[in-house]
Amino acid sequence: MSKENELSEMYNKLTQELRRGILVLAALSQLKEEKYGYALINSLAEKGLDIEQGTLYPLLRRLESQGLLDSEWNVEGSRPRRYYLISPEGTRTLEDLAGEWRSLTNVMEKLLDGISIEGEQNESN
Amino acid sequence: MSLIDRYIQEVGRHLPRKNRADIKTELLSSVVDTLEDRFGTEPSESEVEDFLKEFGQPREVAAAYFPEGQYLIGPSLYPLFRMIAWIVVAAVLGAQLLAWGVAVFIAGESFSILELLGSMLTSIPVSLGWLVLTFIILQRFEVKPDLDDEPWDPQSLPQVNEEEDIKRGELIFGLVFGILILALVFFFPQWIGFVTAPGGKFYPNPVIIQYLGWVKASLVAGIGLNIYLLWQGRRSPVSRLVKIAENLFSIFVLALLVQGHNTWLAARGAGGFFDTLESISSITGGIWELVGMHAFRMAFGVALIVTVIETLVMLYRIVRGKVQARTITVLPPASA
Repeated sequence: MSKENELSEMYNKLTQELRRGILVLAALSQLKEEKYGYALINSLAEKGLDIEQGTLYPLLRRLESQGLLDSEWNVEGSRPRRYYLISPEGTRTLEDLAGEWRSLTNVMEKLLDGISIEGEQNESN
Repeated sequence: MSLIDRYIQEVGRHLPRKNRADIKTELLSSVVDTLEDRFGTEPSESEVEDFLKEFGQPREVAAAYFPEGQYLIGPSLYPLFRMIAWIVVAAVLGAQLLAWGVAVFIAGESFSILELLGSMLTSIPVSLGWLVLTFIILQRFEVKPDLDDEPWDPQSLPQVNEEEDIKRGELIFGLVFGILILALVFFFPQWIGFVTAPGGKFYPNPVIIQYLGWVKASLVAGIGLNIYLLWQGRRSPVSRLVKIAENLFSIFVLALLVQGHNTWLAARGAGGFFDTLESISSITGGIWELVGMHAFRMAFGVALIVTVIETLVMLYRIVRGKVQARTITVLPPASA
């Protein structure tokens, strides 16, 4: 494996780790109204956050087992769909996580102040 | 059966039985939703194939639902498994050495180091196999031990060792002692034996004389290692390997000596400790010779067991990559 490939693989892993932490917050934030999995993926994608189905479905199951989501099957449409809705416990957790997120982004903005972003650098070139 | 059904069925094969049907229904619904959204109600075979490739390998998709299920022994159980595994290895080794010691020294059974090593090579994997099996069952039932409940106290941390420095005093003592013994076996081999009392009759040890060449070689190897370590001033991976090689050679020579004493004692009907007690009444002369040879055999046996344990511990430390944090205990020379 070339050095460039190694760096690229490492970058992908780091990006995945970075994103993994925010997926819970992102999913909870979009489930104040009940949604089935694919609708949630679309909702997140519309707002700019792409998430793989293979990642989202297990995450929804985990959040449900932790009591942060409720779910029920709806068989009225063309096919059965499992709808998820944030639970009262999930709502409290979402508020706490949102506070934590805002505080973190403030700190990170200060820490990253002056560090150029690759895309922006390319644009300016 | 369509490609989609085959895919969902394959994912289901790797899912835990408990939620399998539920997850499969949800996955099927999601796959069909996505395909409809992208390609309409009748996607082509190749479109389905490309999409399923994108969705992921069935095993990986299932693994995301049940990460703990991917381990025979998962991260939450592994520290406990490792701790118990070492206890089991130590207990089995200890029990085997004890049983071997009783068989050879008390019952006077014939001695074979190959048999001892063979039984260890069988009993340790079998014991570990049962332990692994037990932990696989615990893993299947998702048992999670609470090992970190006790508050942690930094003061309980062990002192930092002078890891690479050697104990010069110990080495010099071992060197002087080794040279004295070597001088004895080289120049006065006829003096190796025992006396019953100061000024009493002297009994030479015929077994040591029989294996004198090996004893000398072992002593020279021990002295050579001590000189090398003094010259180096520090331990290194090479010196550790040399020490292990020297230990293996000592084990071989000690095994020869124990075997030689066994044969000598067995030829006089006193192979076992109790045989000797029984024959005391019938033997009028040379009883002290038998007792003395028993004492020699016991001393060599203990040295052999200690050297085997020390070598195993050194190998274990090397395997764990922690040998640099320890100092090697220098045992007395083989014939001491």
